[in-house]
Amino acid sequence: MPAPRLLSDELVHDLIAVGQVDVLVGIPSLNHADCIATVVRAAHAGLDRSFVRERTVVINVDGGSTDGTADVVRGAGRGESETLSLPSGLRTRHRISAPYHGVPGKAGALRMLFAMADLLQARAVAVLDPEVTSIDPNWVTSLVRPVLRDGADFVAPAYARHPLDGPLVSQLIRPLVRAAYGVRLLEPVGGEFACSAGFAGRALAETPWDESRVRDAPDIWLTSLAITRDVHLGQAALGPRVVAPRDSRPALPVVLAQVMGAILFGLERHEAWWIARGASEPVPMFGDLAVVESEPPRLDADAMAAAFREGVSQLGPLLEDMLEPAVLAAIREAAGEAEPHLDDALWTSVVYQFIAAHHRRRMHGAHVLQALVPLYLGRAAGFVTCGTRDAAAVSARLEALALEFERARPELVRRWNPDPGR
Amino acid sequence: MMEMILQALREAWFGFVDGVSTYTPRVLALLFVALLGWLVAAALAFVTRHLLAAARFNALAKRFGAEDLLRASELPAPNVMAASLVFWLVWVGFLLSGVDAIGFAGAGSLTADFMQFIPRLLVAVMILAVGMLAATFAWRATLLAAVNARLPSARLVSAGVRSLIVILAVAMALEQIAVATTVVLTAFAIAFGAVMLALAIAFGIGGGDIARRTLEHQFPERERPEPGAGASHL
Repeated sequence: MPAPRLLSDELVHDLIAVGQVDVLVGIPSLNHADCIATVVRAAHAGLDRSFVRERTVVINVDGGSTDGTADVVRGAGRGESETLSLPSGLRTRHRISAPYHGVPGKAGALRMLFAMADLLQARAVAVLDPEVTSIDPNWVTSLVRPVLRDGADFVAPAYARHPLDGPLVSQLIRPLVRAAYGVRLLEPVGGEFACSAGFAGRALAETPWDESRVRDAPDIWLTSLAITRDVHLGQAALGPRVVAPRDSRPALPVVLAQVMGAILFGLERHEAWWIARGASEPVPMFGDLAVVESEPPRLDADAMAAAFREGVSQLGPLLEDMLEPAVLAAIREAAGEAEPHLDDALWTSVVYQFIAAHHRRRMHGAHVLQALVPLYLGRAAGFVTCGTRDAAAVSARLEALALEFERARPELVRRWNPDPGR
Repeated sequence: MMEMILQALREAWFGFVDGVSTYTPRVLALLFVALLGWLVAAALAFVTRHLLAAARFNALAKRFGAEDLLRASELPAPNVMAASLVFWLVWVGFLLSGVDAIGFAGAGSLTADFMQFIPRLLVAVMILAVGMLAATFAWRATLLAAVNARLPSARLVSAGVRSLIVILAVAMALEQIAVATTVVLTAFAIAFGAVMLALAIAFGIGGGDIARRTLEHQFPERERPEPGAGASHL
């Protein structure tokens, strides 16, 4: 029983007072006083609206906020105590705000939430991102209902957004996860998800919580765990995802290194599973995903292209260690063009050769991933500037890229494991 | 008179013959030990060279950055260098043992000094290897950070970082084997201080605009979109 070791006596006392629940909605936070109230209210409203008969609890797990986040969470209701009981619907609605100790971050919060879900014997666990300002009560319904009523074990989010939005997801993460694991998830790194009690227990037991790459991007790890444990996957159609503006956001090299580091850690941990995997399969979508025709805010393609050219020029010795001469020559040729364009086949080769370099420890892993940043910027610059901006046409291009990643999958397997007999 | 001369010549001859009979076996022993040492050293060097090649030592040295340095200095490959080191250490050890057998005054202390020198030499080699590793790691990290932050002269800055660490490692290694200790330390202190002073003067006075641009780049007003904002790519 891991739960008692993770949870303080005071918290266990509060949880025992809550009793057994059907739905646990968790909201990890760290200095989110400016935006968390919207999410707390949406969580309660969603539970009140769609789960009238179920016993529910909303739990805020805070990593040591100094901006009064816990006060805001308490203020979002009517009471003053740490544990609130709000009569609503046919059941009592509970809300708990609890601090957690250790390394601040989402992974620690998720670990504690899973432990609480285990103690409360929750049938469904939903996790919400405290920074999302576009959340509405339907998000909770969309995430939890597939678990409670359709037997899904892990429900990933699917956001309504223009296909030009989020090039790091569309150009790298999504096609790579699809090709490697054989599942067509739209948002492998979504901030929200829901899962069954069974999966929460597995995640609590099987996640290497002390691994830095898991701590950096726990969502990716949980997604890979769900895929490789052959549980019932689902996607919940949510609305547009808008996050609150923050003074300090991690820079692109940090984000890319964290996300790719977590993906590569998952590939190493689940090597036998994904290497034996075949062609990709769709993941059931719960709800209708809205078509977004309005374009996202444009990224500065000129700045990205300039960063690409400079990176290719400056990082020559490092790129020579990781890329085959023909691929590097094509990259250099692209860098010499007025508008750099890395076609699907070239970009796929670049990604797979970088993954092989990382896996085979050609140099320090973080350095490999940092060296990928300029090349990604070159690919992204070409993607956001080249061709049509029509949503359907861009979606077709994304599908072509995903198919190219799948077509070249044997190359990834060969580079990953060049001597399978040993 | 003649008898005295003959007596002197006879004594000299007997002394010479006695010396030859005394030292000839020792010289022959020296030659034998030298030849045997050469054979043993050559065999060990051969084994070392091929074992390191089989263990992909050169690839490892490339990761450390040592291979690039050796190539730039027109020196052989790392495994050949290591084999040469083994050869000379073994052969010199045998030679000194042979010289010791002759019985020259001071030869014994020479051998003892050499035996005491070997551990210091190995420590110096270790210091150099670790220095190379640290220098290459710092070079890559600096280069990548500078390129991704779009700082000017990324290669120059990263090469400077690597050179400083290599110079530091070489100075420490030379101090370890006690080669011109005072000269090395003084030269290093002067060179290091001069470089730092030159950088400070260049950056603070001659590069005022660069300093301003660098600070503005490091602490931007966040008005213009930049490729480094990670959340906008997710």
